[in-house]
Formats: sequence, C-alpha cells, structure tokens
Amino acid sequence: MTAYIIRRMFTGIIMLIVMSMVTFLLFFSSPVNPEDFACGKNCSPALKAQTKKALGYDEPVTTQWVKFAKGVFVGRDFPDDPALKESAPETIAECPAPCLGYSRTTNSTVTEQIKEAWPISLSLAITAFFMWMIGGIVFGVIAALRRGSIIDRGIVGASLVFYAFPTFFIGLFLYKFLAIKWEIVKIPEYVPISEGGVSVWFQGLLLPAFTLSLVYMAGYVRMTRAFVLESMGEDYLRTAKSKGLAPRKVLYKHSMRAALTPLVTMAGLDLAGLMGGAIITEQVFNYPGLGKLAVTATRNFDLPLVVGIVLVLAAVVIVANLVVDLLYAVIDPRVRVG
Amino acid sequence: MAINRKPIVAVAAAAVVSVSLAACGGGSTSGDGGGSSKEASKGGTLYYLTRTSAEHMDPQRMYVGRDLSNMNRLVYRGLTTFPITDDPDAKFSVVPDLATDTGTASDGGKTWEFTIRDDAKWEDGKPVTCEDFKYGISRTFATDVITGGPNYILSYLDVPVAPSGLPEYNGPYKGDHQEDYDKAVTCDGAKLTLHFRNAWPDFNYAAASLRSFDPYREDKDQGEKSNYQIFSNGPYKLEGKWDATQGGTFVRNDQYTESSDESDSRQANPDKIVYTQGLENEVIYDRIIADSGDDAYAITDRRVPPAYYTQVTGEVADRSSLVDSPYVSYLLPNFNQMKNLKVRQALYMATDVVASTTALGGDKAGTPAKSIVAPNIIGYAENPNFTAPPEGDPEAAKALLEDSGEKLPYPIKFTYAGGTPTLDKQAAALAEGWKKAGFKVTLDPLTDTYYTIIQKPSNDADVVWGGWGADWPSIATVIPPLFDSRINLTENSNGQDYGNYKSDTVNKMIDEAAQIADVDEQAAKYTEIDDQLGKDVAYIPLELTKFYFVRGSKVTNYINNPMTSGFPDLGAIGVEN
Repeated sequence: MTAYIIRRMFTGIIMLIVMSMVTFLLFFSSPVNPEDFACGKNCSPALKAQTKKALGYDEPVTTQWVKFAKGVFVGRDFPDDPALKESAPETIAECPAPCLGYSRTTNSTVTEQIKEAWPISLSLAITAFFMWMIGGIVFGVIAALRRGSIIDRGIVGASLVFYAFPTFFIGLFLYKFLAIKWEIVKIPEYVPISEGGVSVWFQGLLLPAFTLSLVYMAGYVRMTRAFVLESMGEDYLRTAKSKGLAPRKVLYKHSMRAALTPLVTMAGLDLAGLMGGAIITEQVFNYPGLGKLAVTATRNFDLPLVVGIVLVLAAVVIVANLVVDLLYAVIDPRVRVG
Repeated sequence: MAINRKPIVAVAAAAVVSVSLAACGGGSTSGDGGGSSKEASKGGTLYYLTRTSAEHMDPQRMYVGRDLSNMNRLVYRGLTTFPITDDPDAKFSVVPDLATDTGTASDGGKTWEFTIRDDAKWEDGKPVTCEDFKYGISRTFATDVITGGPNYILSYLDVPVAPSGLPEYNGPYKGDHQEDYDKAVTCDGAKLTLHFRNAWPDFNYAAASLRSFDPYREDKDQGEKSNYQIFSNGPYKLEGKWDATQGGTFVRNDQYTESSDESDSRQANPDKIVYTQGLENEVIYDRIIADSGDDAYAITDRRVPPAYYTQVTGEVADRSSLVDSPYVSYLLPNFNQMKNLKVRQALYMATDVVASTTALGGDKAGTPAKSIVAPNIIGYAENPNFTAPPEGDPEAAKALLEDSGEKLPYPIKFTYAGGTPTLDKQAAALAEGWKKAGFKVTLDPLTDTYYTIIQKPSNDADVVWGGWGADWPSIATVIPPLFDSRINLTENSNGQDYGNYKSDTVNKMIDEAAQIADVDEQAAKYTEIDDQLGKDVAYIPLELTKFYFVRGSKVTNYINNPMTSGFPDLGAIGVEN
C-alpha cells in the first residue's frame, strides 16, 4: 500500500511539472502580448519593451520556467531588479517558498490570493456536495424503489430539466426570484465564519451552493437510480431476499453498498474539480473564489496567477484521485490495492 | 482614450463596455433626464454596484474615466477639479482644488505655476505640500514600476529623452538624472512650477481630469505594492483594505475640512460609500429595478442592458437618466488595403449608422456622430465631410464605387471587437448597408486578441472598429493620439492609428497646432485637421455612446455630470437618511 501511494504521488509530481510547462508554453504561444495589458493603450514601443522587461517576459521561456520552479522551493523577490532592491527596497515584494509567482495585476503573491480564495471555493463546494449527495441519493433511491410510478417519472423528469439547463441560467433565475424578487434568501455574499458566524456564512452561501447542487444533483439522481436498479437485479440480492432478510436491510446493507461504490468515485472527482472553483456559479453570484479568480486571471492574461491556479487545481485532482482509489478498496472488498 | 471592447468568458457581456478608459468629454442630459430632484441630505450609506473592477487605485496608475472621477471626489484631490453640474450645455470649466487658483501659464503656455493651499491635510493629519505634488508627478517616470496610466504625458514635461525614446529620468525609486526632473518640476515653498516641452494651454484641465499630477506621500510609497493602497486627502478614506475583485468601503475622513476645499465639488453627503465590484450587469439591474433593501440606496456606472429597456417604465423610469457619454465609436478604413479614395468615400456613403445604432439598442444606446470628437469637447465641430444621411445612401455609394475603377463587387473584410450577440448584430447591420452599395463583405469578429491583431501593420482587414473619448475636454487629446503617424506607426505596431493612416499634411498641421498657446486658437487648428481627416475619409463616425442608468429610489441629488465623463457624480449624490 505504501509503495503504491508513493508511486502515485511521484507520478502526480511529474504531472504537475508537465502541466506547469504546458501552461507556460500555451501562454507564450498566444498572439496576445502580456506587456500590452500592463502598459496600457497609449504605450510607445520603447515603453512596451521596458514593461516587458519589468515583467520578466523578455527572458526565454525556459529561463522563466526555471525561475518559477526555483521559486517554489526557495522563494523569490518581485521585481527581480538588483538596482531597485538597493535603491528602493520598500518597493520589492517578497514571495516566500512555496512561491507560485507574483501577480502584477492584483499586486500580491499568487500564494496569498489562492489562500484567500480557496476557503471560499471550499465552502461552496462542500456545502453543495452535501446538498447534491443527500438529494441525489435520496431521490435516486426513491425513484428506483417506485420504478415506473408517477413519483419516479416526476423525479427523473425534473432531474433531466435541471441537467439540461445551463448553470448560469439556473443561477440567474434563482438569484432573480429567490433573492431579489421574493426575498426568500439573502443576496449572496461571502462572509467568513470568523467574521459573521456560521449562520451568516451559511445564509450568504445558500443560493450559490443550491444552484451548484441542483446541476450535480440531477446527474446523481439518475445514476443512483440506475445503480440501485442494477444492483437489485443481482443474484446475491435475490438470495438475500429468499433467505428472509428484511427489505430495509437488503436495501441498505447490500444494494446500496454496491450502488454507492461507483458514486463515490464520481463524487470524489466532482468535489475535487469544484475545489478548484465553480467558475460559472462564482461568476454569477460574484463569489470571490478560485473560479472567479481563474476567470479574472485569464482575462487579464496574468500568467503567474493562471499557472498557480492550474497547479493547485491539478494537485487537488491528483490527490482526490488517489483518495478515491483508496476509498474504493474500503467500500468494495472485491477491489484490492496492489 | 480608447473605448475598450473586452468580452468576458462564459457570461454574456453588455454591448459596449461602459467603463472605458479615461475621458472627460461632454454630455447632454436628454430623454429621461439626468438628475434627481430630491434634495441631498447628509448621512446614510450609498451603495455603488459595478461589474468591472478598478485596475488601479494608485493615482499615478489610474486611467479609467469612472475611477478618475470617483476617486477625485472621494479621496484624491488635485491641483484643479471640475465643478458639479448636470447642465448638459455647461461650458467646461475648472475650479481650484488643492491649489489656490486654477494656475498661471507663461512662456507661451510652456510653464505653469500653482500655489498649494496650506490648510489641506492627509488622512493622518499631515499637511499636503508642494513636495508631495512634486513626488507624485515624479512617480509617473518610474515606468518599470508604475506601469499603466497615461504614460504619454512623460513626453510633455521638459525632461531630456534618451536614445531609447524614454526620458533620461527614471523616477524616484532609482533616481537616475534626478537633476533633469528637478529642473522641470520645482517647488519654491508652496509654489509649484511645471515646465513643459511644448505649449500646454489647457494643462489645468488635464490636471482636473487625470490623477497623474496629484500629490503622493513619499513615506507611504511602496511602488507597485501601493496599487490598491489609498491614502486620502479628500472627504473620505478607505475603511480596511481594498479588495481588488470585490471592492471596499469608504468612510468619512476626519482630517478633511470643508474650509480647506473651496471647489464646491465635494458635498460629501453619505456617511459611507460601499463599493461592490464584479456583479453581472443583469444582476445589477435586477437589484436596482427591484429597489428593495439596500438596493434602494444604490447607483451604478453600468448601462441598462438593452433587454431590460422594457422594464424601465413608470416608477422605474422616474429613476432613470439618459445622458451623452464622452465616447465616440467609429470605423477606420485600413489605408494599407483601401488606398482608393473613392472606395473609402463609397464605404462612408454606404454606412448605415441608424441600423448600427439600432442593433446596439437604439436611441438609448447612442446617437449618430458627426465627428470623431464628442460634442462639448473644446474644438468640436460637425465635420463638413460627413453629410450623408445617417441611414446611408447606397445609391450614391454605388455610383462612387463604380466610378472608382475597381472591380465589383468590391471585397472587404470587416474586423471588429465581437464576442457578444449585440456586437455581432451591429456588424451585420453595417455589412447589410455596404452590400447594397456593391461591397462583398466578410465579417471577422475577434475577442481578446482584437487590439493585438488590428495593431499589426500587416493585418489584412479593410475596415476596423475603434472607439475614443478625450482624456480631458480638448480636441488635442483626440486628433494627435489617433492620427499622428509619427507617434503611432512603427515597424511592428500602428499604435492607436489602427487604419495605418499617414499624412504629412496632417502631421505638419499637428505640429503647428502644438505651438499655439491660446486654447481656442489651438482648438480651431485641430478642427481644421479634423476637416482634412474627413476629406481623406481617415475615419467614419458611427455613434456617440449614450449612458442610460437607473438608480435606487432613496438616492438623492443624483447627477450625471458631463464634466466627469457622464458618470454619476459622487461629489453631489446623497441618500435619504
């Protein structure tokens, strides 16, 4: 088991290195010049060249990547200008290890920004996760147990509707009616627990999390229903029923266990993906999480921020994959980790 | 300054980005009116809802009209400022702010002197001094640290230029050639003197519009790290930190005294102003139209999305305002491609501005423009070469095209800043008019790469879109930046001259204008240049952008000030208490 984990982690680190290289290459192969964003529109060629140098984009891509990688381990200073360090040290931004870079558009280190944004995305993802898992499994099981009934058709139909609508539409729709018109919930606003307590934090989170959960819940309802129905047709369940086991015990102990195994894999990966930010939901509700940060960074052509977010997201997905694989073995005894 | 059309990812954006780069153009209140009759009262909290985050809060880096105006009213006072008015026909004027008067020009407009007031204070109680001004202006020269902003003004101050094209003086952080700067900007007690290379007869207007000439405290300067630090000398100060994406809250600055501010441009009515950035336009207008809770005390700089026009009726219409913005949209024939004058004239004659404006949202989105210069800008005149009916004259255009000697149908590629259905509709409407005259049109919408592509001299577009608003209310901030080929055209870029227009006649006239010390005479010379541009069909005016806003019902003394780019004037607005 330990060897397996070490092997997977090693593979993950290689993947992160490759991803950072690919992001760098994609950035520099774009026709857009990053110095144009910083220099402004009335920029002379001389000024553009100076801005490019100040941003460090005048160096070869490989040199820039090596500096970036080195910064992860030993930290960096921005701007990396010896003359400025000597004459005006107060203008130098220190970026301690693990330094993922310095954003010249937001004027703070990438690590700081991710630290600020991640709890917000995490709050949103976990709250939505609980909502969709509970709703998805409960409605999925009900639909499976009432197969063919109006309830089944109603649940499956509703889930199809929510699955079909784009997230931004559901988000804007709920925002407009639940928050603005009927004032059932508060205007969404992220308030950390440390500032407003759990109640205020949750109230501000309710609508974005609900929006996000609806989209995912729809898929989970249909899958739970399918998995439960599939498992209910298995021979070992027929055997359990014929042995006289209570239907409730058959459902919870045998059928659900089999049905939940593939759901765990999916849920783990979905949750991991969301921890990197729910881009559309955060954009619609103006939630300053990683998703919104990613959009802003992309629009501003902010390479350090883009690379930082890509790496954090990739790391989360890699770790989640590993955890899911390990959990899989716990839930399903047929799987053995070798 | 250019209007930026920057589509965003995933969510549909409004037609034209209303937060555009710096401007101080004219405006006119019309239609639904521009002001609220409710008397202002002190106290309460005003909510400012917006989509686009401020790129910079550093005065020397700011270059967005909305931010320049708002921060001037709240936290950054300058040498001069614009008075409060909602009169669309008010002649532009400036009033003294931190200076005791609006400045004295000498040496044919090349030297300006101001005396700094002795009773204005920073938020920590220390006085604002002449040295603070000198230090603030010096920061714009540190172009390796203080990036962005209207950096072209570096070339205005009389500081020697290095062979690289940049000033020898490189700002206060490194301080090379400090002595050159010390000659160009001097302090003698409270007397600030600025020496310029050429005549700058309306410098005091520029000082009111831009924040580049504002004071900055040296001991508070952390270079690039200061981008979102706000150290106030105005009636408000920042509470806590400014969040680059979400905004911040301004509260009263107890070191500010009304007696130190005789500009009458800062009524400072609300006790608190809460900025919320990053909201979608649709969300902003859902909230303001619903007018419930705190949103009844809200204003915005975002224009009403065309899809919401039908909701602005009855009580909501009473809360709306429709004013001219200082921004003009136009088309630029690419002179590297479209060299035949008759073809360019035909293109102009075939341009259906009415259909184009209708596609953008009709009369609430814009009105046909008669020049690249906005009305109310000093030096504005209808360009006598653009007399075709606004819906175009396809027959006359066809005749011109046939007379051009070119093979018909004449193929043209129209490259425009697209990415939203509204902008695509506008392009299609223009193409329809051109087709009627005998052009074969290929539409080429671009999104984030738009300016990168059209700024390449080798780009193969025949026509491109552009937008501009004056940096301060002078035609001098429109013509040279857009059509002086010497400052724009280089081997790799056409700068702001997206049409690659190059005219020795126009360049010579620009040089002549730059030597004129009288504001009105200089403006008249630029008007002549505009006429020449019209003769060459260097541009084709489209529409003067309109600002259409709705505010909350408990907002008082609401004013869209034409002198502060037509945005809501935070110097006047209050809320019911």
